[in-house]
Order: sequence, then structure tokens, then C-alpha cells
Amino acid sequence: MNKRSRSLGLVLLALLLAAGLGACGSSGGTGSSASTASSSSPTVTVLMGTPPDSLDPGLGASTQSYEATWLAYTGLVTYAHAAGAAGAQLIPGLAQSLPSISADGKTYTFTLRKGLHYSNGRPVQAGDFAYTIERAIKLGWGNKQFLTGYIAGAEAFDAGRAHTISGISSNAASGQITVKLTAPFGPFLNVLAFPAAGLVPSGTPLKPLPNDPPPGVGPYEIAHVVPNQSFAVLANPQWAQQAIPGIPGGHANIAVKIVSNNQTAAEQVLSNGADVFDWNDTVPGTLLGQVHAQAASRYSQEPTVSTEFFFLNVKSKPFSSQLVREAVNYALDRQALSRLDGGALTPACYLLPIGMPGHPAGPCPYGDPNATVSAANLAKAKELIVQSGMAGTSVDVWSEPHPPHKEYADYYASVLNAIGLKANVKIVAAAQYPATIGNIKTTNPQTGWIAFSQDFPNPIDFYQLLNAESIAPTENHNLSQVNDPHIQSELTALGSVPSSKLDTVTSRWEALDEYVAQKAYIAVIGYDDVPKFTSQRIDFGALVFHPVYGNDWSTLQLK
Amino acid sequence: MSLPPPTPARSEPTVGTEPPLAAARAPAGPWRLVAARLRRSRPALVCGALVLAVVVACLLAPVYAREVAGTGPDENHITDTVRVGSRTLDVVSPTGVPIGPTWQRRFLLGADPNGRDVAVRLLYGGRNSLEIGALATLVTMLLAVLIGTLAGWFRGLTDGVLSRLLDVIWAFPPVLLGVALGVALAIGGLDLGVVKLSSGSLLLPAAIVGVVFVPYVARPLRGQVLALREREFVDAARVQGRGNVRILTGEILPNLTSTIVVFLPLMLANAILLEAALSYLGAGVQDPNPSWGTMLAEGIRLTPGAIHLVLAPGLMLVLVVFGVNVLGDGLRDALDPRAVAGGRG
Amino acid sequence: MARFLARRLLGAAAVLFAVSVLTFLIFQVIPGGDPALRMAGREATPQTVHDVRRAWGFDRPLYEQYATTMEKILDGSVVSYSQQINVEQEIARDLPPTLSLALGAGLIWLLFGVLFGVLGAVRAGRASDRALTVLALLGVSTPIFFLGALMLYYLGYRWGLLPLGGYVPLTRDPWGWFTHMLMPWLALSIASIGIYSRVLRAGILDTLGEDYVRTARAKGLSERRVLVHHVLRNSLIPIVSLWGLDLAAVIGGGAIVVESVFDLHGVGQYAAESIARLDVPPVLVVTLLVACAVVVLGVLVDILYALLDPRIRLSA
Repeated sequence: MNKRSRSLGLVLLALLLAAGLGACGSSGGTGSSASTASSSSPTVTVLMGTPPDSLDPGLGASTQSYEATWLAYTGLVTYAHAAGAAGAQLIPGLAQSLPSISADGKTYTFTLRKGLHYSNGRPVQAGDFAYTIERAIKLGWGNKQFLTGYIAGAEAFDAGRAHTISGISSNAASGQITVKLTAPFGPFLNVLAFPAAGLVPSGTPLKPLPNDPPPGVGPYEIAHVVPNQSFAVLANPQWAQQAIPGIPGGHANIAVKIVSNNQTAAEQVLSNGADVFDWNDTVPGTLLGQVHAQAASRYSQEPTVSTEFFFLNVKSKPFSSQLVREAVNYALDRQALSRLDGGALTPACYLLPIGMPGHPAGPCPYGDPNATVSAANLAKAKELIVQSGMAGTSVDVWSEPHPPHKEYADYYASVLNAIGLKANVKIVAAAQYPATIGNIKTTNPQTGWIAFSQDFPNPIDFYQLLNAESIAPTENHNLSQVNDPHIQSELTALGSVPSSKLDTVTSRWEALDEYVAQKAYIAVIGYDDVPKFTSQRIDFGALVFHPVYGNDWSTLQLK
Repeated sequence: MSLPPPTPARSEPTVGTEPPLAAARAPAGPWRLVAARLRRSRPALVCGALVLAVVVACLLAPVYAREVAGTGPDENHITDTVRVGSRTLDVVSPTGVPIGPTWQRRFLLGADPNGRDVAVRLLYGGRNSLEIGALATLVTMLLAVLIGTLAGWFRGLTDGVLSRLLDVIWAFPPVLLGVALGVALAIGGLDLGVVKLSSGSLLLPAAIVGVVFVPYVARPLRGQVLALREREFVDAARVQGRGNVRILTGEILPNLTSTIVVFLPLMLANAILLEAALSYLGAGVQDPNPSWGTMLAEGIRLTPGAIHLVLAPGLMLVLVVFGVNVLGDGLRDALDPRAVAGGRG
Repeated sequence: MARFLARRLLGAAAVLFAVSVLTFLIFQVIPGGDPALRMAGREATPQTVHDVRRAWGFDRPLYEQYATTMEKILDGSVVSYSQQINVEQEIARDLPPTLSLALGAGLIWLLFGVLFGVLGAVRAGRASDRALTVLALLGVSTPIFFLGALMLYYLGYRWGLLPLGGYVPLTRDPWGWFTHMLMPWLALSIASIGIYSRVLRAGILDTLGEDYVRTARAKGLSERRVLVHHVLRNSLIPIVSLWGLDLAAVIGGGAIVVESVFDLHGVGQYAAESIARLDVPPVLVVTLLVACAVVVLGVLVDILYALLDPRIRLSA
């Protein structure tokens, strides 16, 4: 072992010196090459606080990744490039039209458009679709359960029991692609709209390619990736000949720079040193005044389809008592929570957020979230705790350190203490947080902060959080551990309704969401607002804030 | 090098930086002399008094909270208002900016984003910072004396093993080691069978900080013991047939006291600083306990709008660490007349 | 000499081995710290987690995992858990800011440390010496991130004199590089200037009392000549060795705090971010890098000592 370590030492020292000298000389080259766009269109700079988890479409599953990859990897279907509800509509992508769905809801048939080419010039084949899905599963895409859970044979492929996915078949000549499901799944087309299902050529290496993303079909291609520092989203030279209706070609090349300090990034956009402030980041509250004063015409707060809430574990004291859960909902001052979030929060009490079909419009059962908690409601909360017999029960409040989540927990704990419980805050590193609170065996948390953003515009997505089937011993997602027969039967009925027919069942979703609020299974904080913020030279009005993917870079243009 | 190493000895063959070997065989007499010298050093006295005042103030935190500020360290006042002069102000603005110093009883030094009174939290946080500093220093000193004397006295294999152990800790940059330990232990705490530290315990950062600094003290002590064991009075004790334990406690340890005393304030200062650095990197004191380090870290995140959240805990830290350092300087000068300023030629 | 060298190198190897094992183990004690759970993504099925565990070898015994990881580190193929990026390439990319920081700050703190140290010794006991002592102690007593935050606030935000953090490559924009590095350099230097000046001052005062200095004075050499030729040359030895070690630590990624405060994207910040993600491979590599630098430079310093100072013998 000594020998190995010694050579290790020498190797590391050599690495240190060689890399140091080498990098010194070459550092400028890598940095500047990102700005040399191949086409003549202008370059727009986007500042991003958190780097994408991976720019390989088969692996990336963070909002920052999707922001780039959905423009470079078009699937058989995709979303309309529009703001608000219109943007949640699915349109045909590489398929000629939306698929025909069999009566039992289990077979989807697509026909590939003719004459499509990848960004490297290679023609698109019908067989590439199956390869793309297989690659995403093999690479371990973060949302692959949507594929393995529903496509026939995908589970067996994932487990290594099959070499291909039996449920996907294609005909190279006619361009016909058929996908068979194990059970009807309403939002399945939404799943196929993920960039992970955006076609890549057959034979693309079955390993992550985050630094050199594979070719795709879309108005843009991703290039010049310097991990954790920068990447470019450039006009795809192949796009012009094959433009697909509904997918704009884009006006500018995008240079993305990772600037982890939100303060610095916001200052740069404010002073027009950079063009776009990424919507996933937060403009520091201290700078907001200046932004409103100097940049009112190029700053707005956009609602996102996401909900922040405290889960209330109904399987353990004290939240096993509905009275305690009601008390928490009465006493939580959403106005205070909103201030902790710099005002970028729409206070609310329902799980389904504004912008999601099924969001109830009626008043909240336990106090108005848009007003400061009244003395009467606070007294009522204290009384409920006494009534429940749970006064003095100790409660661990879990959260993670990222602001304002820790501040939420601090405030929440002070509220629980004020109404007669004994709260203690537990903060866990962000990387470890989901695994920690999702572990019923070791942690079995009583209550804590959690946020959920839509994967796709269908309420069933949010109801994973209250579905009894999501309860698991170590990777639990139903953190309140709710197992309510009414919810279960409604989910079975509503879950198979295709996204395109959601309008026929909105009132049923509304009723279900009101039921959940009435039972106080969770304590909703509100819905997150995010900043849309650009430099002066950008046409702010033309920039579409997409309901699923945020700032639509293909609508970025100079004034 | 993000943390100042203690002044004495970073490289082993110390030339100009060795700790004083001044008062060999030191009963009451020399110590009285030291005390007299220390009394003459006005800066050391002033700073000592200052540190003492801060300690007392922190101990009185509950009194201040109850009698003056009228709020506890964890009470949130996000949507409250406070009257400053003739105006009524939000404690926290709708966009989340907390109020600055009011210079009156309520929110004397302003509020934090949770609408908590900064002055109250500063006093409670000081308790934690000082407690961790003191505990960490204790850990460092105990381990360092143990390792240093054993290695120096027994030499050979014992020395080899212990010295390599010190080398290993030494080879880690202090902050990197501290942060790695802190993050790893923050989740589940430490469970060594005998010792069990829960993740929220203040002992955890204290232990981490303490261990990181052991080599800085153990190495010079080891060197000193190596020298002492060759001295006549040790030989004499050996000839008298006294056992290892008795010689160590009766002859060697008393001769190490001056070195230990010189290192104490130095280590205290460095421990407080390292705890702050760890807290800044998210690996120090765990919520809900505030420490100056965690308060400062939160404040930095909120600049530029709420600079009072940086200045209050930051200046407090500098004040106390500076005071302890000056006190340590005075102590060293008092113990080692050679190093007194002006001792030229 | 050869025996000494062999022994020290062997010792260094043992230390590096222990450091790597220790770092590896630190991240194993985390309860539920199973990296497979984090890598499998949210809503992972037990099957997925199992697959990840198998694919990455997390189901193997610990010593085997350690051996595989070390092997990958040695042949340069180790990738991070969270982003699955080659760690050594990433470190190579992060070196320019770290080297800029280390070399610039190193020069500043050496220069001012020596200047103030000599000044303090020459004026020992006078008001200027006392003022320097107070300043040095203040520098040592100020947390770097507090200093950094104040600089960012006043110099960067309030007065707009310098940029608010970030790194600009020297080759692309030398002036931008300089303005971006100025604050980090100062923040990193202040404490070290305090330490160095005090060590040097004490060293000079010590040396002034030595016999050979008295002899030199007695020979009638000018005070300046005595100071420069006899005193300073000897007192500088520990300073330079200290400098080498500190510099090595910064280059290896030891300046975690400064790099994080000023968002330099250097090796230290990479280490800090990796620790926060509980991502073992990068932490392991950076730790080994620093440890290696410190250990190897420690040996070099010892040799240097022996060459410069005939009083020290490198005995085996």
C-alpha cells in the first residue's frame, strides 16, 4: 500500500504542477470561445446561479437543464411556446400530429415527420425514438419512473431482463411509432414532452455526455460546455430547412454564465452588464427597491406552478389529531412567511397552485391566507391544541439551510411554540434533505418544509404527494403519510383522464383539493413567484415566460 | 491558508518561534513575578477586562432579553411594527428587509429577517461562541498535553505512532477537515460507543475545532518534553526510583505550565475564529442555536441591505478575539522576559 | 542525507495514505449517507437505487470501494457522484483562479509581512512598533469572511470601486483580472501579514542577541549592514519556509473561505461545494492535493533548512 500511496503523491504533485502551468496558459481560450457564435445573430448573456445538473438530455432533470435542453431536443410532442395556460398545451413536435390513442387508453400511435435532420446533419429515423427512451432509462434520468412505470416492457428493460423495450415498435419506412402502456396514464403525452424523450440518434454512446451533448432536433444546439462555468446555446444550422410549426427559430445565440452569487448576478443585469437573470434565482430583497426604481419596465414577478408547504405526519403525534392540524393552519401567518421569501410568494391554503387545472377559487377553511392572522384565530388555534390533548407535545420541524427554507422553519417553530406545542428545528444539508425526511424507518419526521414544482401540467402530478401508493419505508414521497380512501378512489378515476381532456374533470379536482384543505393534511405556505428580469437591450415584452420551462430563450430578442 | 495558524511553529525545526522555556521548575515565586509583570502591561489588563465584560454581558443575556428588550432570542416578530421616534416602522418590510439599529430598548441593534432582536441574539450567540471556544481549547489542550508528553517521554514506537497521527491531522487544511467533519456529523451526530454527541449538541463543533488544533500545541510540547527528560532534576527523580507517572506529573508537567498558559489564549482565539469559519461554510453550530459565526454567515447572505447583521456579530467577534490575543501577548511577555519589546541587544 | 530523505518520504507516503483513508471514512459514517439514494434522483424506485448501487459498486465492501476509488484517482478517470464529471479535469479548470489567488496574495503577504516585521524590530518598543503590533493583532483577529464581506459591501457595493466577486482570466482581460483579484488578495493577505510580521520581528530581535551579531557590531560594521547581512538573512529562513507551506495549502484548495466569499470558482470552492453535496471523489482528490503539497513542501523545507543553516543536522 505504501508504494501505491507514494506514487499517488508524486502523481498528484505532478498533476498539481502540470495542470497549474497548463491551465494558466490556456484559461483564456476556453472562456472566450463560448462567445464566438457560428451564425450572425446577436449573443445574449444569461446569468444562472445554479448550474444544470446535466446538459445531456438523457440525464438532466433540473429546471436549469430543461431550460436549455427543451430547445435542443424536441420529442414527438412538445409544449406550445406561449405564456400562461396556452403554454401548457401540447403540440405535435417531431410527430406529424398528436397521436391517436386507443379506446382503452393504452396504445399511442405516432407518425414521424418526413425530412428531419439532427443538428449534425444525420437524418432522423423512427427507430431513434425507442433508442432515446432506452438511453434515458439506462443513464438513469431523474424522472425515469414515468417511463419505466407505464411503458410496457420498460421495467424489464431497466432491470436488465430484456435488451429492448417490448412496448415500443416502429416502422422505418412509414415513420410509424407505436407505444403500448401497461395501464392508461392521463399525462403520458406530457411525459413524452420531456427533453429526455427528445430524440437523439441511435448509437449515441450509452454514457453521460454532459460536456459534449449529443445532437438533437430543435431550434438550438448546446455547445462549448465548461462544466459549472458556462455553456452556449447556439442556433442550429439544420433548423432552417425543417422548421416545425409552433416552434419558433429563435433570434439570438445564448451564452450562459454560471454566477452563483445572486447579488452579483442581479447587479450585473440591473446595470445592463448581462442580459437575463435566471428565473430559478432570487433577486435579493435588499436590491428589490433599486430594481423597482430603475428597472420597473424590465422586471416582473411571474407565478410558477409550484407549492410550498409543511407536511403534517398523520401517523404520529401530534398531527394524528385533525384538531392540531387545523390549529396549525389557523395560526400560520402566511403574510409573515411571504416576507421571509422577500415578498415573492402568493399566500395560499390549497395544494394545487394557481395555473394548475383544479385549483379551487373558494375561500380557505381555516382563516384567510391573505390577511395577518387575527387574534381570534390565534386564540382558536391555542384552544384547539388544548382540546386535542396534545399540548406540550414535542415536535421536530425539519428543513434545509437554503434561504428562506431555514427561516420558514424558524418561524414555524416559533408559531408551534406559541400555540402550545414544543418545537425544535432540525436543519439538514440540502444534498441530504430528501433522503433524510423520506426515511420512515430512521427519521419518520413529524413535520417539515417541502416544495413541489410541477413536472407537467396535470394535477395528478401534485397528488403523488398524497397518494397512499407513494408511501415507502426509505424513499417516502407522501410525507404526511396520508392514506385516505376518498383520495385513493378519486385518484384512480382522475389519473387516467388524458391531459387534453382535463377540462372535463376540473370541478372534480377542485372538490378533491378542497377536501384535502378541509382535512388539513398539509399546511400550505403559498405559491412561489419568480423574477423575470432582463437588461435594457432585451425586448422584455416579447420574452415568453413559459409555465413549464420558465424563460423561453427562443423568444429572446434585442429591441 | 484561510485561517491564521497559531503564531508559534508551523514548520518543525523551529528557529525563531519556539515557545518560551522560561520558568524552569516554577513554584509560587516566579508566578508572582509573572503576575506582577502582567499587571504592569496596561494593554493586556484593559483587554482582559474587556473580554471579561463581554463574558459577563453574555451570561446576563436572559436578563437583557426579559428586562430591556422584552423578547426572547427565538421569538419572531415578522409582521410587528416598532415605534422609532415619532414614526411607526415595520420590523421586516414586505420585501423581507429587516429594520436596522433603532438605538432604543426594542431592537437596539435592529432585527434579522425573522424579526428577531439582534442584540438579544448577539448575547445568546456569544454564550455559544465562547462556550465552544472554551470547550474546544480544553479539548485541544488535554489531547495535546497527553500526546505531547507521551510521545516525548516514551519516544520510540509511541512517539512514532503519535507523531504520525499529528502529521495526518496537520496535513489536512484546518477548514477543509473541519468542514468535512462538520457536514458529515451534522446529520447523525457522533457515536463512538462511549461518547455520544447528538447533531444539535454544541459539543460537536467544539470537539471538531479542538481536534483540528491539537498538532499546533502537541508538537512544541513534545519537543519540550524531549529536552526536559535529559535534565538533571529528571535524572535525579529517576535515580530515586520514582515511576513514570510520578515523574511525569511531579516533574515534567509543572515545567510545561508556562508553555500551556501561553498557548491557552492563542488557542481560544483560534478556536473562536475556526468555529466562525465553519459556521460560515454551514458546518458549525446547528440551528436553532445561534453563534456569532452563524449570525455573521446569515448576515453576509443578506448584504448589502442589512449590513447591521454583518457588523454586529462581526465586530463582536473581532473585539473578543483581539482582546484574547492581546491578553495572550501580555502573558507571553510576562512569562518570557527575553521577548519583551525593546529587549534589543 | 539519503537515509533521511528515504525516511521522510516513507513517512509522507504513510501520512497521505492515512489522510485518504480518513477522508474516505468521514463520509461513510453519515447515517443514510448512501450516495446511491441521492444519485437515483427523486421518486426513485428501490430497483433504481439498487441499480445505481450495483453500477457504482456501493454494494462492495468498504476496502474494495476505497481501492477502486484510489485506482481511479491515480489513472485520472475518477468522476464525481453528483454531476458525473471527471474530477481531475474539473480541478485543472479551477486552478487558474486558485493560482492567481495564491501567487498574488502570497507576494503581498510576504512583502508586507517582511516590511512590517523589519520595521517593528528596528523600532522595537517605540510608538510605531506598538501601532504595528496592534494592527498585526487586529489582522490576525479578523475572520477572513467578515473582512471579505465588508470589502464587498463598501468597496464593491457602496462605493462601486471594485467588482462584486467572480473571476476573469488573465489572458482574456488583464485589467479585469487584476480588479477582480484585488479584494481576494487583500482579504487573504491581511491575517498572514499579521502573522509573518510578528514572527519576523521576534526572529530579528532574537538574532540581534546572538554572539555573531555582537561580533559583527564589535567589528564596527554599520547598523544597516549588520541588519541586512547578518540578521535578516537568518531571520528570513523560517519566514520563507512558512511561506512555502502556506502557499502550498492555498494552491491545493485551502483557501476555501476566500474563494467562496468572492465566488472565484477555484479549487477550494469546488471542494466546499462538493462537501456540501457529500460528493466523496472530489473531496478526496482535493484533500490529497493539499495534503500532498503540504507534506512534500514540508520535506523540501527541512532540506532547505539543512542547506541554509549549518547548525541543523539532518540526522536519521
